[in-house]
Amino acid sequence: MTEEKVLIKARKLKKYFPIAKKVNLKAVEDVTFNIYEGEKFGVVGESGCGKSTLGRVILQLYPQTSGSCVYHGKSIQELNPKYIQNEINKLKEYQTKATKFYQDSLQIDAKYEELMAQKAQLDSEGNANDAKKYDKISKQTAKLAFDSKELKKNASRQLREGSRTVGSLICCANIEEIQSLFTKAEEEVKAAHECLNQYYALKNKYDENEVNIHHIKTVDNDIAELKAKEKLNEEEEYQLADLEDIKKKVAALNIDSLNKENAELKPKLEALEEEINKHHEVEMSYRDKAFEYRGKNILPITERTSDPEYLAKLDENYETGINLNKLTKSEMRTIRRDMQMIFQDPAASLDPRQSIGKAIEEVFEINTNMPKRVRKEKTMELLTKVGLKREHYYSYPHALSGGQKQRVGIARAIALDPSFIVLDEAVSALDVSVQAQILQLLEDLSKEKHLTYFFITHDLGVVKHFCDRIMVMYLGNVCELAPSKELFAHRLHPYTESLLDSVPRLTIRKDRKDSGDVLQGEVPSAINPPSGCPFHTRCKKCMDICKAEKPKYIEARPNHFVACHLYDHKEGA
Amino acid sequence: MEKVLDIQNLHATFTIQKKDYEVLHDISFSINRNETVCVVGESGCGKSVTTLCIMQLLPNNGKIQSGKIVLDGTDLTQVNRKEIRKYRGKKMGMIFQEPMTALNPLLTIGYQMRESIMLHRGLKKKEANELAISYLQKVGIANPESRLKQYPFQLSGGLRQRILIAMVLSVQPDLLIADEPTTALDVTIQKQVLTLLNDLKKDMNAGILFITHDLGVVAEIADRVVVLYAGRKVEEGTTEQIFKNPKHPYTIGLMNAVPNVDLDEFEIRPIPGTFPNITEDIPGCRFNPRCPRAHECPLCVKEAPETVEVEPGHLVACHLAK
Repeated sequence: MTEEKVLIKARKLKKYFPIAKKVNLKAVEDVTFNIYEGEKFGVVGESGCGKSTLGRVILQLYPQTSGSCVYHGKSIQELNPKYIQNEINKLKEYQTKATKFYQDSLQIDAKYEELMAQKAQLDSEGNANDAKKYDKISKQTAKLAFDSKELKKNASRQLREGSRTVGSLICCANIEEIQSLFTKAEEEVKAAHECLNQYYALKNKYDENEVNIHHIKTVDNDIAELKAKEKLNEEEEYQLADLEDIKKKVAALNIDSLNKENAELKPKLEALEEEINKHHEVEMSYRDKAFEYRGKNILPITERTSDPEYLAKLDENYETGINLNKLTKSEMRTIRRDMQMIFQDPAASLDPRQSIGKAIEEVFEINTNMPKRVRKEKTMELLTKVGLKREHYYSYPHALSGGQKQRVGIARAIALDPSFIVLDEAVSALDVSVQAQILQLLEDLSKEKHLTYFFITHDLGVVKHFCDRIMVMYLGNVCELAPSKELFAHRLHPYTESLLDSVPRLTIRKDRKDSGDVLQGEVPSAINPPSGCPFHTRCKKCMDICKAEKPKYIEARPNHFVACHLYDHKEGA
Repeated sequence: MEKVLDIQNLHATFTIQKKDYEVLHDISFSINRNETVCVVGESGCGKSVTTLCIMQLLPNNGKIQSGKIVLDGTDLTQVNRKEIRKYRGKKMGMIFQEPMTALNPLLTIGYQMRESIMLHRGLKKKEANELAISYLQKVGIANPESRLKQYPFQLSGGLRQRILIAMVLSVQPDLLIADEPTTALDVTIQKQVLTLLNDLKKDMNAGILFITHDLGVVAEIADRVVVLYAGRKVEEGTTEQIFKNPKHPYTIGLMNAVPNVDLDEFEIRPIPGTFPNITEDIPGCRFNPRCPRAHECPLCVKEAPETVEVEPGHLVACHLAK
């Protein structure tokens, strides 16, 4: 694989659903992955493995419990999120807090040492009468050790939070200066954002004029074409009425004046584009200036800050994208135009009393300020794009088959030219032949529009041939993550293997070569997940260590990640 | 071999807005004892209507126009509504797609199992209880005594489906109708249920009619396969004949549409077009608008093809098969 641009970076994503006091359903547990731009990323697992929850957490339809999910598909200028300035203002606070926590922990450490010395003394004296005192000291030391650990954790947590905005600069002594540099950069972002808004407003006007020009040229022809037909069906009649309507409206417009207006708009648009670029350059220069301090004047905040490796790790935390978790609700709504979702049941995601056209047009009505006619034209274009007819604009969901309804769902998802789509079992409810049609449509769209898919399914056959990379999940945990060919050629995790064995094959029974083993039992509850490896209760190759310890997530083969104890020995050897 | 079920020239219609539309056209096939027959097709092809015809459970606007459904020597189409209740459940049992809706949420598993055993086999409560336990053991349920006291919501989907199977089998029917019993289950659980059905087949002494749209499941469980398209039987044969030597373009298209996990390279090749509505009138072969080979033969658009036997037991309704 070539170096690709990361679109979504998820780090230790966690989602717990509270069920009762102190009882959580651990739906997604510490999931870490990257999704690259233009990739079809498949997620497989049984029901209840957290794949749907994960998809929704990415879209922030469920707030995550912890971890981060950073989106790189949109520049910060375009969105201008508020949280960044807040974070910049907090930098100093993070630093002082981290220092304070660490100093406190050092004090506690000193006390701990003192008590340990006392304890050692008691030990050596062997005074049996002091059992009570001895116990007391033991308890105290245990508490101190715990407190110190927590404080140290808190200190590094503060640094980690800070490093999201400025990387390792959070440890620099001249944090105020860095703060002001970043604030200046942020101001440029704001200015660029405003220019962008102006740009879009003018662009809309420009586009509308273009559509009008197009209509003036074609409307007569279209009407004549329809009128030439012998018999019109109901939908065509609607279409005709619409065209007449358009004709009336454009009659008042003059094609020359429209052309002239657009000719005037064009240089304005270009000027704005230039201004945006300029702001961006200035912004980058501020950032570059700030980053010149990288590795200089490092404060000894914790014992680790002198370690260059730790600093590199902090630098890695530096977010160039948008941290979805920190956005306000309205900001998230704007960004959701870029990140869409297609659901499993196409019938349930359409309003039975709303026509198909209205259902799609609503997307434009809410998210853009396109005039009505432009919206309608766009909707009809979309319908043809997803393999429906323009007349379907006037039909209602009941008149469509399951496959056609799913096409409407797709049209609605791609209406705003998103870059990322979560497909939650989008083809599972369809018949095989229709399923193949929809898969083909999705494939074509992804090539044409350079879409990135997060494809959730339980069907291994579909992911194998549709997705580029596959992640296998079990009970909220990632078992295995690999490019699809690699995964099927070398399945490492026993769960992947049993899942694959369970898939019904197109070869008849007596020609089968597989072991015939059936995965016994059922998925345990996520409220009380099994200790150690979550799969150990059903695993054929379960060892003692599996019950005790959670396996680490390692790269067992190039680009092939697995979380299973069978493979950490190999790595150690 | 003894025929458990024999369907001969079955025609069924649905009345929609005072007009009759044919949903099943000349369907014939039979099931032998200890044999599993799979009926495959897209949704709307008439596979569920076939089971409803057998159970005599067609909705009010549906009607069997002609044909015979012979179960164990009796033609079910001639049995009146009161009498048919003696056949349902006792001679033919049905397993549905959604195990949750097939069980009453207010009654324990034990009550529901005992009810059918006591009704159809005339046993006392105590005996019925013992029988229920023995059948739960047969379908691989651990500690059946405690399961009998549980309610459906306490059980997982796979367990519920096992219980339904046990419930149907405990009456010892001659015919077991399974309407997409594994579609709502996870692949791993599906495999468990299919393996169970295959294991039970030997000592069940019944015929199984298995409805599914998943060809992978067919390969797993069927002895013989019937492929339906838009209310017509397009192909019938043993599993081996259908999978190794499919003749009808529709069967071939269905097989190509399934993304096969065993293949390294696979190109998605859908059947073009959409499934016809029953109200649509298509002259000639019903499949011709979507058929990739329709242009090879002028008859396809004019005449409905006759069923021909291409090899013993392998029937195809296609002009090109001759």
